[in-house]
Amino acid sequence: MDHFDEFSRPLEYLSPLDKHLRTVLRTYIEQEIMPLRRRYDEDWKEHTLIEPAFDKIMGELGLQKALFPQEYGGWGLAGSDYIFRFAYQLCEELGRADTGMAVALAVTFWPLLVIHLEPYVNERLIAEFAPMFCSTNKAVFAANAMTEPQGGSDIENMGLLKGRTIRTTARQEGDQWVINGHKLWPTNSGGTARLFGVPCTTRPGSADIDDFAFIYVPADAKGVTQGGPYEKAGMAADKNGDIWFDDVRVPAWYRAHGPGRDAGAFYQLISFGQVASTAFLTGAMMNMYERLYEFVSTRTYRNRPLKENEAVAGVIGRIAGDIDICRILGHEAAMMGDRRNKPYGLPLVSEELVGKIRNIKDFVSDRAVENLGKAMDVLGCYGPDRDWDIEKHWRDIKIIQLWMGGKQLCQMESARYFFNCETL
Amino acid sequence: MNRSLDYLFGTAVGDRGEDAQGVISLVRQWAEKEVIGNRLDYQRNYAVLFEEKARVLALSMGLQRLALPEDQGGFGWHDPGHVADVAAVLSEVGRADSSTGVLLTMNYALFSILTRFSEGREGLVEAMTASYLDDGLKITSCVLPGPGSAGRETPLYKGRSIPALVESRDSGSTLSGANIRPFAAGLRADLFLAVCADEKGRPCIALVPGDKPGIERGREVLTTGLNALANADISFVETEITRESLIQEPEAVPMLFTLLNLFLGGVSLGAGMNFFEILGDWSDSRVIRGSTPLKENPLCASVLAGVAEDIACSRLLLEDLARLVSPSPRAWSLDTEGLYTYAVMIGARIQKGIMRAINRGMELMGSAGYAKEWHAEKHWRDVKTIQSLLCGVGAAAPVKMDTARFFYDCKEI
Repeated sequence: MDHFDEFSRPLEYLSPLDKHLRTVLRTYIEQEIMPLRRRYDEDWKEHTLIEPAFDKIMGELGLQKALFPQEYGGWGLAGSDYIFRFAYQLCEELGRADTGMAVALAVTFWPLLVIHLEPYVNERLIAEFAPMFCSTNKAVFAANAMTEPQGGSDIENMGLLKGRTIRTTARQEGDQWVINGHKLWPTNSGGTARLFGVPCTTRPGSADIDDFAFIYVPADAKGVTQGGPYEKAGMAADKNGDIWFDDVRVPAWYRAHGPGRDAGAFYQLISFGQVASTAFLTGAMMNMYERLYEFVSTRTYRNRPLKENEAVAGVIGRIAGDIDICRILGHEAAMMGDRRNKPYGLPLVSEELVGKIRNIKDFVSDRAVENLGKAMDVLGCYGPDRDWDIEKHWRDIKIIQLWMGGKQLCQMESARYFFNCETL
Repeated sequence: MNRSLDYLFGTAVGDRGEDAQGVISLVRQWAEKEVIGNRLDYQRNYAVLFEEKARVLALSMGLQRLALPEDQGGFGWHDPGHVADVAAVLSEVGRADSSTGVLLTMNYALFSILTRFSEGREGLVEAMTASYLDDGLKITSCVLPGPGSAGRETPLYKGRSIPALVESRDSGSTLSGANIRPFAAGLRADLFLAVCADEKGRPCIALVPGDKPGIERGREVLTTGLNALANADISFVETEITRESLIQEPEAVPMLFTLLNLFLGGVSLGAGMNFFEILGDWSDSRVIRGSTPLKENPLCASVLAGVAEDIACSRLLLEDLARLVSPSPRAWSLDTEGLYTYAVMIGARIQKGIMRAINRGMELMGSAGYAKEWHAEKHWRDVKTIQSLLCGVGAAAPVKMDTARFFYDCKEI
């Protein structure tokens, strides 16, 4: 194999943007991110190195505009039939350099998709938020403020809990929503995002999806307080913190779609998040392959290159084989999302699609965690060395396995579909 | 956690003398009072507090003297009869902080080797003991065989490249080797315990004071874990070493590997035990689906069970390895090669088991497992670092070759 690009992907699945975007994006990434990424860990709080890189790819290159319709200055990709595949490609390329940056960008899309993806389109809110993202060359972030202190992954478990455990409340007063609650860990919190999408409840304790509300809250709204970013094992480019909503008032029309439809639009996000997660992982693994290739070709065991020793070859062969398989699966997951409007496709809110995509994400997460750990061991005394990049990916991607309900929720969603479980 | 770790995981208390019980108990108090009870502070000011707390343990409480000869002011735990006690002490230290555990491991390995091969080196033993008895915190750094570089043949130790070469001179020897990656703590090491090859390519150990002329240190290497033990590549440029500082007995290098696998197994086990405690508290206090305690959910409980199983099995394996290394008329005895093989085989299994336990437990903790505030992630990074360093190169492949060589008498691998 001559190049990491030769890891398999179904060519007929590639989006029309694939070639052009890959070329442009890779140039940006290799010039602006890769030379500095080994210093990102120490920049976790200030983002003095990270922010200019975001400005380049999100603002100057314009990726933050990608979802918005062209009439608002965007690229119109949310209305295309390849938004999942576009996102996969974008997240994989960025993930190759730095999964934290990939996450921050993809999560900016996340709350915006709630108002962009058919059949849940809200033209008025699109028009409202488009200037924030489309009329600047500086990076602008959005965040999905989901997780709450008491509930961990419960909010992502919409299939079963239908928002019953949400404690962040939304109360309508005249033409305003009044929001109260505490969220923690959203990507792009910690002072980064300018706009929050907030899943909340209009009737605490209710499992009626009509009581689930998805409401947009500008980060500078009165009553919004943000804590500083948490210090983490990795993912320095992705800031996470606490957000408190204390009698925060927003216009009533900042609710995404209204009773029942908010839950449907929100549920669509789950699969998008899982597809993006899979792409972060395959991107990181492809870069691991590049670095591992160099190591096993230039370093020796028994005075022969490591890769020429059958026992080591058995280990690295399996690693590369897993990357190949994971990449095919990732593209398949993205294609499942893009088939949503086809006669032979499945809607994003179907239990089958959610279960199958979660299953792929779970599988790829496990392979990534295992293989990056194994690759560190192949490097031996150089495995924990940041200069070899593999340990950074190893630290960064662990959180991908843990988020959005983590492994256990993936297993439950999968079991629910494949075995028709009724109580899980 | 309403039951003690000793109750839950069992321990060979009956085999342990009163002295050992006393030391273990003191170290446990140090761990809980100085580190575990002040985790947040320890994490935020790690570089400073590591030094401060390690000094308390090593100097004020005397752990630096543990493996020094008794007749010279030490506790005399350098002899093989004490290896189980040392491993147990290191588990207690690892429960608090793996870097401190690794620091002590390398010191204990040094004196175990030095005293085992003390014949003809009495003066050296005495001088080194005196220097480790003084008021300073001493850092020993091991240099082990590992990856070689393509196109450059080196002598080998069981397939692994030996990075430094010894050349005899009239007054002693010189040691040479460029850009060598020590196991840990190379940047500020007071002494290097370096596996090297003599002129016939035979593996041996050189003891090289860190302030010797002819030692060049590279820049500090940023690492996944063990962050308090700043490492750097080392070059020995015709560094002079005395005749007695070169340990050429054939048992020395296998013994070093044996001890490192045992002691570092203890350190990682301790980290795993503390992770178990953190996870136990988490699973007690967190609920899913609004009201069910995490540990009462069957899927979560099965993950918790896997964590406990890996830690319990690792602890039993560690105790078995310690028994193998300790001379006892009741125990089945192995020669140096056999012991080496069992040590690397069991050592790798322990690291793998602890790593798997932490990896799986983190799944249940979600983002909290990843935040520095909860400390789970520190154990995860530290144990992974120890595991990769112990592999040396090629993941488990060299250990598998060692194992096959011993059990199947392979000649070529």
